[in-house]
Amino acid sequence: MSERLKAVFQTKPAGVTRLISYIMAGDPTIEVSLRRLRGLADHGVDILELGVPFSDPMADGVVIQAAAERALSAQMTVKKTLELVQEFRKTHNTPLLLMSYLNPLLHYGWDRFVEDAVEAGVDGFILPDLPWREGQGLRTRTEKSVGNKLSFIPMIAQTSREQDIEAVSQVTEGFAYVLSRNGITGGEVEIPDNVSVFIESLRDSLQIPRCVGFGIQKAEQVRALAKICDGVVVGSALVKAFAKLDQEGLEEKDLIEQEKEVFTWLASLKQ
Amino acid sequence: MVKEKLHVLSDGGYETKGHFGPYGGAYVPETLVPALRELEEAYLRSGQDESFQKEFRELLQRYVGRPSLFYEAKRLSEQLGGARIYLKREDLNHTGAHKINNTLGQILLAKAMGKKRVIAETGAGQHGVATATACALFALPCIVYMGEEDVRRQKLNVLRMKLLGAEVRTVTHGSCTLKDAINEALRDWVTNVEETFYCFGTAAGPHPYPTIVRDFQAVIGHETREQALKELGKLPDAIIACIGGGSNAIGIFHPFIPDPEVRLIGVEAGGTGNKTGENAATLCLGEPGVLHGAYSYLLQDDDGQIVVTTSVSAGLDYPGVGPEHSNLKETGRADYVSISDQEALDACSLLCQTEGILPALESAHAIAYAAKLAPRLSKDQVIVVNLSGRGDKDVETLAQYLEGGADHE
Ligand SMILES: Cc1ncc(COP(=O)(O)O)c(C=O)c1O
Repeated sequence: MSERLKAVFQTKPAGVTRLISYIMAGDPTIEVSLRRLRGLADHGVDILELGVPFSDPMADGVVIQAAAERALSAQMTVKKTLELVQEFRKTHNTPLLLMSYLNPLLHYGWDRFVEDAVEAGVDGFILPDLPWREGQGLRTRTEKSVGNKLSFIPMIAQTSREQDIEAVSQVTEGFAYVLSRNGITGGEVEIPDNVSVFIESLRDSLQIPRCVGFGIQKAEQVRALAKICDGVVVGSALVKAFAKLDQEGLEEKDLIEQEKEVFTWLASLKQ
Repeated sequence: MVKEKLHVLSDGGYETKGHFGPYGGAYVPETLVPALRELEEAYLRSGQDESFQKEFRELLQRYVGRPSLFYEAKRLSEQLGGARIYLKREDLNHTGAHKINNTLGQILLAKAMGKKRVIAETGAGQHGVATATACALFALPCIVYMGEEDVRRQKLNVLRMKLLGAEVRTVTHGSCTLKDAINEALRDWVTNVEETFYCFGTAAGPHPYPTIVRDFQAVIGHETREQALKELGKLPDAIIACIGGGSNAIGIFHPFIPDPEVRLIGVEAGGTGNKTGENAATLCLGEPGVLHGAYSYLLQDDDGQIVVTTSVSAGLDYPGVGPEHSNLKETGRADYVSISDQEALDACSLLCQTEGILPALESAHAIAYAAKLAPRLSKDQVIVVNLSGRGDKDVETLAQYLEGGADHE
């Protein structure tokens, strides 16, 4: 695991828990994404997830699907995403994970991709279509080529079997992305009341930090989850807030002002 | 041969079964992994379960009308000159296509697994109709996802699904065709996984679907083999089938894979041209990658984005293909070719006028290739074409073609 990512879990979080944010690279433009990454980092986000757009995002709900479509129609690519990270790294040290689907990354050429990702300052990946059992080949190959600089963040679902969860914690560095519920990203489906029971039930089998995501959009949810996990992920709610601003056709300086309100709202979630 | 750099997913071995050479796998959200395992276990159990097998066999005989005819298309063969052409008449099955073989098998699995809700995707609507039919027969609620473009061009099948009691959900994003219907069905499944059975329509998708669908469709090949031996006293020289996701093709190919003297030829949709976006000729023009849970050939652009496809035939209009076909291509055991929209439409008329059989536009692609191959073979050679479905659903598209307006955008 990278030093940047390690540091996040070695220290106590500022606020009730650690905050992980998600935005899509290139939505609506590279410049705006870069500004937002910086703003999120400056407003206390502990880990940044940066989406790499894919045409067929099967694990995403309508909000992130639309973000991917916007990014793709603005000609966003894997290469430009890596350049964006490189630019961000010139000024910021916040750990950054790329979230994408396998195909664009495989097509780039995996060996070249992981080298370029390390070079750009990426800390790891979240790949919703690479379940743990199928990831062996890529993990081994990645480690051979760049050592343990890149973490593969595993997803743990309510449906996961205990032996799989144990196996995951034995080999993973970083943290586990625990899904709040079955389903796709977005706030359309409520987080069920039993989520706390589920997370508690992982206490023995999952020996790495647990961050919870999917459908988190409110401070009450964060407060409740903070007691039982090590971090929360806010994705669709953030993408939606920015998309709303982008649709208003604001002057740049007004847009920048309004973005600050989004950063402040996000930061307030963990107060 | 594929560039070595692409097969990286298989480094360090596979933890799962369900690979065909380097192709296949189950690249799905973690939430679905246990569901696929549960399906695999139920499928393996069903193979040992004599009462399951008996019920399936009886349904195929008494409900579908199997075995389907092995019909010598004499006038077609005469007109073309050359090889004798036989048609494997899957169009005569109940509901009008091969799809019913698979859906009955899968719905029996759903029942054995105690699932209360069935979802499916459909392109041409034939799989949707076949799923709705099996669900009606077993009193299960059925939801079918279908792209908006396909809803438009396969109206008859939309109506049939509704009559059968299924709910048709129109998918309005992406290319609004089969690919997007699969995305949406997968999103439904991952959300409602505990009670839902996903009845997948082709020999693609994550393991174990390519194997399950192939095995349920292999009845086509087993019958063909028996019928050919009985009627001709030998195996056919070539077998031709169209390829959407690849289920009718793998179904008829599979029992012949160990017989090198039988040429296996898959026919893809050549659409309106060879440029990106103009066709759905995945194996002919694509490269391997991951879509819908499997590593297999894909039509994609320079950045690994899946491209929009074009075909006059909704059932072939798909940028992916089943992993077993990718491997048959890689090993050279099967050949894959493409047929243009125009050639398929012409073949449709040809079969109508020589044999009095209206084929589905999908199957017309296979007929079109047979029409090219037959004259190059001798009179004692035999070609079998898998006539995967009938063309009633396509009459509107065909009417436009007859009227001279080639509007199949
Ligand atoms: C009649 C017919 N043939 C062929 C296909 C293509 O599917 P597959 O390649 O799975 O056989 C379809 C799909 O809808 C179909 O309806």
